[in-house]
Amino acid sequence: MDLLTAIQANLLSPAVLFFVLGIFAAVSKRDLKFPESLYTTLTIYLLTAIGFKGGVAIHQAGIGAVWLPALCAIALGALIPLWTYPVLRKVGGMSVADAGAIAAHYGSVSAVTFIAATNFLKGVQEPYESYASAFLAVMESPAIIVGVLLGKGVLGGGRFSLSDPGIRHALRDAVLGRGVLLLVGAMGIGALCGKRGMDAVEGFFVTPFQGVLALFLLEMGMVAGRRLGDLRKVGAFLLVFGVVAPLVNGFGGVALGKWVGLSTGGAMLLGVLSASASYIAAPAAVRLSIPEANPTFSLTAALAITFPFNISFGIPLFFEAAKRISH
Amino acid sequence: MNLHSMKLVTIVCESVLEERIVEVLGECGAHGHTAFDVRGGGSQGTRSADLVESGNLQIQVIAKPAVAEVILQRLHADFFRDYAMVAYVGEVSVLRPDKF
Repeated sequence: MDLLTAIQANLLSPAVLFFVLGIFAAVSKRDLKFPESLYTTLTIYLLTAIGFKGGVAIHQAGIGAVWLPALCAIALGALIPLWTYPVLRKVGGMSVADAGAIAAHYGSVSAVTFIAATNFLKGVQEPYESYASAFLAVMESPAIIVGVLLGKGVLGGGRFSLSDPGIRHALRDAVLGRGVLLLVGAMGIGALCGKRGMDAVEGFFVTPFQGVLALFLLEMGMVAGRRLGDLRKVGAFLLVFGVVAPLVNGFGGVALGKWVGLSTGGAMLLGVLSASASYIAAPAAVRLSIPEANPTFSLTAALAITFPFNISFGIPLFFEAAKRISH
Repeated sequence: MNLHSMKLVTIVCESVLEERIVEVLGECGAHGHTAFDVRGGGSQGTRSADLVESGNLQIQVIAKPAVAEVILQRLHADFFRDYAMVAYVGEVSVLRPDKF
């Protein structure tokens, strides 16, 4: 399969088409607005399902196979803000607070992008390490912590105090947010239960998964579509950054994944995680700890530029890259 | 009926602030609060409430006049500059003043 066929296969998947339908609904003002509780329910379902599945994979592969690539994932998450921050400051002319905030979003990860990528791999019948959802779990927090430190001006001798209630709440959320708790919790349960447990819940957590993902992406399309108008407010630099940063991070992640011995599918997933930008955990933590940063910049870049780019073109691109880089 | 005069403090703010504000209310001496999700728009843009992070929250507190004043001062000092927030005070009458 070449790059073009991969892109085509990805664009014609139900998940991506529902995402496009969502954007269309929002742009044409025929807003279908999901009830908030449904959005939350779908999120819980998706996180629990991939966490559990990852846990079962850890049970089968043994923790010995997981720790080294997981360590690489943590390092990637912490390092991404360190290169994006100076670029945002110097090239983009962003303030300390805005650069730190955006760096935190881009180092942290988007679970739905990851899930869409596993979906793509299933579609093209490419095997991958199912325990890769462990990388998702460990990549969420380090970048938020590094980004917040940068945004508080630690490099320029800025003040950073744990007695600041905003920072206290943000760090607690970043380290043990709802997403991380669900993911890690379900993973622990999956690791304890193993294959026998999977047989018991497969009918609920595996079979309907594709449909739930399609429904969730319909909602994500609307959420992203409502922010397209903000693209005019963020300026040309962020538009370019929103595409270039995921490309650099994604190819870096793929290369690192291959280097630690992941399969083509696994390396591609690590690439997708590096390329993705958080729009759930990071925005809340950053809003609390760096209130002077403008949330329109980071949320628009992550949600209206990087997220659509990744799920449409990024995923097949990183797949092709993973196929071409040899061990 | 013997009614007593109290102040109703209403705060409309970004949803992410809920825990912090509840903490501040406790520190100021308020004895309870009611919170609900709302949506709307203002000088800092529309709060579309489609993600928790772009959601809006309304918190209501009934308190003694002195406490209400302390609450407003704290909100002014800690939040008004950086966050989308409005807060206002109104008069209400209650039957059991010791509850607030």
